[in-house]
Amino acid sequence: MDKSLFRYIWKHSKRDQLIVCAVVLASQPFYFMSLDLPRQIVNEAIQGEAFRDGNTTAPFLKLGIDLPSWLGGGSFQIFEGFQLSRVGLLFGLSTLFLFFVIINGGFKYWINVAKGILGERMLRRMRFDLFTMVLRFTPEALRTVKSSETATIIKDEVEPIGGFIGDAFITPVFLTMQAATALFFIMVQNVWLGLLALGVVGIQIIIIPRLRRELLRLGRERQLASRELAGRIGEVLDGIEVVHVHHAYNWERAEIGNRLYTLFDIRVKIYNRKFVVKFLNNFLSQLTPFFFYAIGGYFALRGTLDIGQLVAVISAYRELPPPLKELIDWDQQRLDVQVKYDQVTQHFADERLAPLIEAREEEAQDEPLVGALAGEDLRVSDPHGGMILDSASFALDLPARVALIAAGSPAASVMARIVARRTPGFGGEIRIGERDLMRLPPGVVGRRIAYAGIDPILFPGTIRDNLIYGLRFKPLGKTEEGRREAERRVAEALRTGNPVESISDQWIDYERVGAKDADDLDRLLVHLLNRIGMGNEIYLFGLAGRIDPDKDPDLAERVVDARRGLYDTFRSSGMADLVEPFDADRYNDQATIAENLLFGVPTTEEFMGRRLAENSDFRSALDKAGVTDDLVHMGLQIAKTMTEIFQGLPPGHSLFEQFSFVGAEELPEFEAILRRHPRPSEDMDRDDRVRLLSLPLAYVEARHRLGLLDDRLKTELVQARRFVRETLEKSEFAGVDFYDPERITAAAPLRDNLLFGRVSYRVANARVRVAEAISTVVREMGLLEDIQRIGLDQQVGTAGRLLTPQERASVNLVRCLVKRPDILVIDGALAPFDEARAQQMTELLLDLLEEQSLFMVVPNERQAKGFDVLMRFKDGQVTTETTTGGREPEAMEPGPEAAQPIEGEVA
Amino acid sequence: MTLEAEVQSLRQVPMFRDIDPARLKLLAFTSERVQFSDGQRFFSQGDASDAAYVILDGRAHVLLNTPGGEITVAELSDNALVGEMGILSDSPRSATIMAAEPTTALRIDKRVFLELLAQFPQMSLAVMRELAQRLERTNAQLVAQSS
Repeated sequence: MDKSLFRYIWKHSKRDQLIVCAVVLASQPFYFMSLDLPRQIVNEAIQGEAFRDGNTTAPFLKLGIDLPSWLGGGSFQIFEGFQLSRVGLLFGLSTLFLFFVIINGGFKYWINVAKGILGERMLRRMRFDLFTMVLRFTPEALRTVKSSETATIIKDEVEPIGGFIGDAFITPVFLTMQAATALFFIMVQNVWLGLLALGVVGIQIIIIPRLRRELLRLGRERQLASRELAGRIGEVLDGIEVVHVHHAYNWERAEIGNRLYTLFDIRVKIYNRKFVVKFLNNFLSQLTPFFFYAIGGYFALRGTLDIGQLVAVISAYRELPPPLKELIDWDQQRLDVQVKYDQVTQHFADERLAPLIEAREEEAQDEPLVGALAGEDLRVSDPHGGMILDSASFALDLPARVALIAAGSPAASVMARIVARRTPGFGGEIRIGERDLMRLPPGVVGRRIAYAGIDPILFPGTIRDNLIYGLRFKPLGKTEEGRREAERRVAEALRTGNPVESISDQWIDYERVGAKDADDLDRLLVHLLNRIGMGNEIYLFGLAGRIDPDKDPDLAERVVDARRGLYDTFRSSGMADLVEPFDADRYNDQATIAENLLFGVPTTEEFMGRRLAENSDFRSALDKAGVTDDLVHMGLQIAKTMTEIFQGLPPGHSLFEQFSFVGAEELPEFEAILRRHPRPSEDMDRDDRVRLLSLPLAYVEARHRLGLLDDRLKTELVQARRFVRETLEKSEFAGVDFYDPERITAAAPLRDNLLFGRVSYRVANARVRVAEAISTVVREMGLLEDIQRIGLDQQVGTAGRLLTPQERASVNLVRCLVKRPDILVIDGALAPFDEARAQQMTELLLDLLEEQSLFMVVPNERQAKGFDVLMRFKDGQVTTETTTGGREPEAMEPGPEAAQPIEGEVA
Repeated sequence: MTLEAEVQSLRQVPMFRDIDPARLKLLAFTSERVQFSDGQRFFSQGDASDAAYVILDGRAHVLLNTPGGEITVAELSDNALVGEMGILSDSPRSATIMAAEPTTALRIDKRVFLELLAQFPQMSLAVMRELAQRLERTNAQLVAQSS
């Protein structure tokens, strides 16, 4: 980026700036006219100067040019004007005044919008440029750059710069013109008054900015302090675990408190200074009218200045301070923004960035990475100056499966990173065939080399998003989007130096990974996940996932079929009592009262949990069905039992969360209700009733066994279903997806859709047995793969925190495998697995990468079985040994079965 | 059968005899009532100990693995507590328990049980007293055998 902000702005927006300036210029004559008209109205129409010579009419809208005397004087008349009476002239001139007011407003509107858009475009360009630089940070720079600070810069700190860009050239031009026009106008009326005004303006322009310099310094200080605050908060949040572990709350609080004090202190200094300057400025602005009234009035009394002129001068002067003030503000803003800009460019200084790469080269060099791999004179030193690799050389033929045997030395990992091109700072040379590995364009490296390090970095999104992250090199096909919208988007992108590609385009090169389309790719992903041993987890994620029956009607139908198949299985194997199916005419003992009443799954917050009791539609349906009193009575009994059995447990005890209907913090509240109403009574107020009503909604007779539901009440509750459904269907908020045995409930997880009922709490071991039955039926009906594909929709959370370390590592490996790299480098990616599992996965990787190259860091000789080449490290030297058995089929041990048995899961 | 009835059953168990009714209710409430069909196993010898059971209704056999197959060494009936030693000593199941007829039992989860003990000293004391009495009985039996 340019060092100077103004050069940057000018380079990218001169056309727009010039257009807006031209319009500003064009608007000035109209502005002048609107200033001159009040004088004409007062003098010519009201005071009647135009009618002085006894004329009864005067010309209106007379257009002509008076030539100055040095051109020989004389005048051209273009239009003689209308002859109007005095009243006519007054109204004519006033209307003209109004006309110019509107014209001026129109100009202002256009200029403001144009400026806004201009600023926004430049802001977009600047943010994008900065983000592009973020991608170019060198590894050394990344060690010192804080992510939260960088994000703050791109998001917040450039914002005022963007706001300023629209004003950068136009505002000074516009305001100077305005001030000059007003000043010129005053000059024309009276030279002395004009000079007076000019003098005060001069003082303002010279003194005020000087006083403001200190303000700028403070502003800079404040910006740095607040950026550091943001950085510190980010650090604490990233390391929150350590803060908890060491109970460093007080220290962190004090630390942040001190920073806040510094910010406060700077702000106070800024305020003091700022308002002194403001006071002075206001005083100077008011000084001029004082002179006008005093001196101008004196001239008027003496008769050397007519009243009309004085009024016009004063009204013209009213126009002078605002542009001046804004001009001074602009100057302040300019310095301020320049400071910010300097700091931004410092953050993205050239020495912190890697060089730009031409995209054209990539196409030319995109050839398979096979052939002789040779490292010569490789030198890497550790931070203390010791040599990790000291003039090491090696040569081998690719494709090969190479074990880098660490044996406690960091050299293997360093070598892995060199081959994966993750370490730029090493001496010597490494070549593949004729090509220097370090000179390969990054695009080629990205496509042909995969690296799985110890830290599997996942982005928030679904598992699928993360798996195909490595396949998105460039868009290959366009998706249909509205043509006009697309044209506009592309035009804007071109104007602001942004990419024209849309993320809704087709980015994935299916052919390259050996898939036909998105579905085929899903199959591929599931297959790889199965092989790597994550099949069961993906299946479980799938069971917890949801189907969209509109998007996949075929699958929805098959799930409903499987539902029937499942019940046949239950009946035929004597497991019918394990699950109580949803039946529109029967009360389900294994489900909550809320679920029995809704007979469906809530889709909006208003129908979930405690909120349901507060829902007025739902309550009116209960009233209609006549069950409210019974439920409130139940609530009273539940509250009584809960307060009795949970008393004495400290608040926050895990038993509360797990078992109680009532949170520890709510206990006193319910105790108070119980004191007010020891037994059900009529005079209970609405709030108490709602509180009590919320308790039985979560009650499951089979689980909680308080003996509160008898057959009469069950029948009534089943009857109440109808009222609930009618009321909710009439209401405008469709908040519940109702159960239907012939249809998928889109809001419910797939597992519930298969089961269409609740597992019995009463039968021992029911959950495990039901899960096994589901698993069997799913296999028999060929649904396993579909369910696993739904599992790919599972969210991984921030940094993959919703997955276990093993799952994260598996996703990371599959992400590398699916892009079919020529060279796969594994450096610690198997660390989360135990040794047996890691060994199994190593064998699998050897098996999968028959035709490609694998470089894998292994801890010892024992785990280097099956590799073609063993690379050992000693005293900074590398030795390679080619084994024989590696490629022979009989030496290959089979990888884990593709279809792993699905372990019992808890439904 | 409701929570109240379960509390009555728990009261019959020697280990829980002296515990407050409110605490027994909490113990019952945090436990699960489960049904075993005839021949279904509560757990098998060598399994990890994850719960204790109180038989509410029915009968169960205690089986031991021997070289000659499983043999029945005892029979349990109403209000018997079983599996508590495993969860207290954190050792695997020392025997197999199998329902001898359709049986209802109260399943006391290990984690919940230990948390209750940690929270209420009175419960811990009751458990200790019972264990001490068992030890005393065993000693007495040893003395009787050796003399």
